[in-house]
Parts: sequence; C-alpha cells; structure tokens
Amino acid sequence: MGWYFRAVGTRRIVEFLLLTAFVAFFAGPLLNLAVLAFSGQWSYPDLLPHQWSLKWWSFVLSKDDIAKSIGLSFLIAAIVTALSIVICIPAAYAFARIRFPLKRFFLFSFLLTHAFPKMGLYVSIAVLFYRLGLMNTLLGVVLIHMINVLMFMTWIPTAAFRNVHAAQEESARDVGATPFRVFRSITLPMAMPGILVASVFTFLNSLDEAQGTFLVGIPDYKTMPIVMYSIISDFPSSAGAVFSIILTAPTILLLLAAQRLVSADVMASGFQVK
Amino acid sequence: MSKGQGRKQAILGLIMVSPSFLLLLIVVVLPIAQSFVVSLREESGGIGLGRYAYLFEDKGMRDNLIFTLRITLVSCALVLAVSYAMALYMRFSDGRLVDWIRRTYMIPLFIPGVIATYGLMNLLGNHGWLSRFLLVFGIELPRIIFDQKGIIIANLWFNIPFATMLLSSAMAGIPASVIESARDVGAGKLAIFFRVIFPLSFKTFLVALTFVFMGVIGSFTAPFLLGPNAPQMLGVSMEQIFGVFREREQAAALAFFTFLLCSALGYFYIRSMAQEEASRS
Repeated sequence: MGWYFRAVGTRRIVEFLLLTAFVAFFAGPLLNLAVLAFSGQWSYPDLLPHQWSLKWWSFVLSKDDIAKSIGLSFLIAAIVTALSIVICIPAAYAFARIRFPLKRFFLFSFLLTHAFPKMGLYVSIAVLFYRLGLMNTLLGVVLIHMINVLMFMTWIPTAAFRNVHAAQEESARDVGATPFRVFRSITLPMAMPGILVASVFTFLNSLDEAQGTFLVGIPDYKTMPIVMYSIISDFPSSAGAVFSIILTAPTILLLLAAQRLVSADVMASGFQVK
Repeated sequence: MSKGQGRKQAILGLIMVSPSFLLLLIVVVLPIAQSFVVSLREESGGIGLGRYAYLFEDKGMRDNLIFTLRITLVSCALVLAVSYAMALYMRFSDGRLVDWIRRTYMIPLFIPGVIATYGLMNLLGNHGWLSRFLLVFGIELPRIIFDQKGIIIANLWFNIPFATMLLSSAMAGIPASVIESARDVGAGKLAIFFRVIFPLSFKTFLVALTFVFMGVIGSFTAPFLLGPNAPQMLGVSMEQIFGVFREREQAAALAFFTFLLCSALGYFYIRSMAQEEASRS
C-alpha cells in the first residue's frame, strides 16, 4: 500500500478523505430517509433492509389529514409568494431606480427581520396575534411566513434591478419607448432571473416553515412540517421517511428547474449589501 | 430633472416602499415593542421587572440559559471554521470533485428543517444507520440523539452551507491579481491568508457569524425534536411557556431577553451593512 500512497501523494488522499466526510455528513441523513422510505423490514443490525416494500407509501397517502396538509401547505406557500411579489418587487424597483427621501433608512429597515432570534420574534408575534385575534387564522399564518422572506424578497430583486444597465434603458427611451414599455421589455426581463430565484426561495421557505406555524397555526392550520412533528412521534420511522420524501420533492423539483439561476452571488445578495 | 419631477419621483418612491415597510412594522417592530410592554406586567398585577428576575432566580431557567449559550458558542466556532476552510478550498482548488461540491453544497439550504432533523435522528440514533456501520468495525456509537451533541450536529448541518455560501461569495470578490501580487513579493500561504484574504472577507465573516449566532439561539425544530428534555434550548423553553403553560407575560419576557442577548450583534450587523452601502454609493 505504501508505494500507492506515495505515488498519489498523501495530500491528495487526505483531501479526498476530508471531502468525502463532508459529502457524507450532508448526504447521509437524506440517503438514510430515502432507504427507509422503501424498506419493508429492516432489523438491527443489518446494514440494508432485507425486504423492500411500498406499503408505507399507501399507508401515508391514505391518511386524510396528511393529504389535507399537502394541499394546505401549497395553498399557503402560493399565497405567501404571490403577496410578497406584489409587495416587495415595487419596493425593490424603487430602491434600485428612484430617488426618494430616507431611501437608505427604508432599505436597511428590512434588516430588522433578521436582526432578532427567530423563536423570540415568533413568540412576540404570537403574543400580539393573541390580542388581535389572529391566532389560528390563515392571515396569521401567512403573516408569520412573510417575516422570513421580506428581506431577501426585497434585496435580491433590488440587486437584480441595479445590475440592469441604465444605458440600455436610456437607449430604449431614446427611440421613443414609454417608461412602462421600457420597464416591461428591458428592465423586467433582465432582472427576471433574480426575481425568480427570490420567488422560488420564498415558496420553499414557506413550505418548510415550521416553528412559527406551530405557534400561531395550531390546531386548524397544520401544514406539512407540523404534521411531520406528530408523525415523528406517533408513527414508525418508515412512515416518517415516506412523508419526508413527499415534503422534499417540491424542493428538489423547483431547484432542478431553477438550477442555472441559483448561485452563491445571487443568494448572498439577499442577506448582505455587496 | 426639474424640481416638480423630483418631487413626483420622491412621492412615487415612498408609495412603492410603503406596503412592505408597513408589513415590517406590523410583523417585527410592533410585536417587539408590545412584548416588552407585556413582559413588564407582574404576576401580582403591578408593573416591574419580576418576569426578568425569574429568568435568573429559577434554577431550571438558569440551566437552560447556560446550556443555550454553550451550544451557541460551540456551534458558531465549528460552523465558521469549517465554512471558512470550505470557502477557501472552493476558491483555490480545481478538479472534478471540487466542481461537483461547488454545484451541490447549497442543497441543504433548501431542505426543510424538520426533514433534515428527522434524517439525522434516524442516522445517528440508538439503532441508526451509523451505529450499524460502526458495529461492523466493532465500534459503539456514543449517545448523540436526545443529547447536546445532536443539537450541535444539527446546527452544523443547517448552518455550514449558508455560511459557506456567504463566505465564498466574499472570496469570489477578492481579485486574483491582489493575491498574485502578494505571492510575487514572496508572501507565503499563511501570510496571504492573514494579510490579504482574511481582512478582505472580514465583514462577511462577521455577517455569517451574526446569522449563525441568531439562527442557533433562536432555533426550535432541532432542539425540540432531538434535544434532551432538560436542560432545554431557549427556543423550546419559550414555546413551552407560551403554548403549554400559557404564561404569555413570561414568554414575552424570555423573548425580549433573547433580543437583548443578540442586540450587540444585531446592532453591529445593521451598522456594518449601512457603512458598506455608504461607501458604495
């Protein structure tokens, strides 16, 4: 073996081992769930199930409240995404292109959504919602989902609008395009990748949101992650694994679709000024 | 631009930001202000700091607080060390494996927290996958789940990709020419790191630290599902006080206290962002 290590170089081997550990750490839990979801019988200490089966799939899908939670989650995520587009995109355009007083103050005020520990903020909101009668309402759940997305839904599109060269807009205006036309056929299409990434991230964020919903949405608004909490404690792990795959599938699909657009740079622009 | 047009723009701009700003007031500023007011209500009916005194007087609460701080500090140190190494590695290495990692390391950012936590529970649990693999080599896995180790590992899982994402976008902003010229004047690898790379990415480093710190201190899902029953992380304890014991005033006090714990970092984060923006425009 010794000659082999010397030939390849110890450095490269250590590098390879470290990277493998890194990948295994992140892929391990997900892979484990994938195997569990299709296992029939898997007794300790076997490394793999000795019987594969789909029985947990029909079990999970036949549960009424589970099917209901899937619909509810998608409904809420769609409402949250649509609302935050309507609310945040105009603000993003204003931050990037329009001069108005206190602009920096407004831009940085969005940092407040991430300047407090989440659970503390949620509890504060729940205390307020309790007074306003917003506990256990759709509006309450939607509002609590929007906190998380408010900042990057404004900032990523702001960065995207800023990256559109003013010269291109000006030349369109020079040939006689109206301001609205310029926005629709030059600015918007060029900023679209950023807006799409922000929207996809918003949608997924809402689908995944558990802690806030757990505080203000119980008992009527049981979204998928909330149902997952009870599945974890009430059902065998294979049932939980099946539901995990159902919950993760939209994430994987949307990510694959938006793969080309999602980069560290675009994402980072949602959390810091560059 | 004429004066009238300028004013028209100003009004238009304000109108365009006002809906999101209003929402911000409703879901962030108002709740925080009122949780402070509510937390001052004493059990006896008067006004005072009794709810805060309880946080330190009660033995269980004090344990929770120390437990939370310890886990937060350990998690922050580990996350930032690994993320920095990963970001550096991805910036300065080539090869198929690195390319592949570059394309996939952000995936955990999008995986639902409940799912990842559940996966970790199954993988690292008593009779989990990892213990089965280790059994082949005759190694027994120590208790990880329902223990602080589990919480820390989950924190690493959630935060390393995020911190790596922020840091590697900062690394990408460091021009190769700067590093090359440092190399030309004979700077070694360590010198380049401490004299060039670290100072140039320091701000992002602090932003990442802020996010990880707040993320861990305000976390709920992982400690709720795989943490020990006692002591608890503050997020779990807060939920219990609010949802199970229905003591809203006490929950508000605890929430406000965590804001105070993080206020220095929060202030720093907002200020450094504002400076960055000022130097830019």
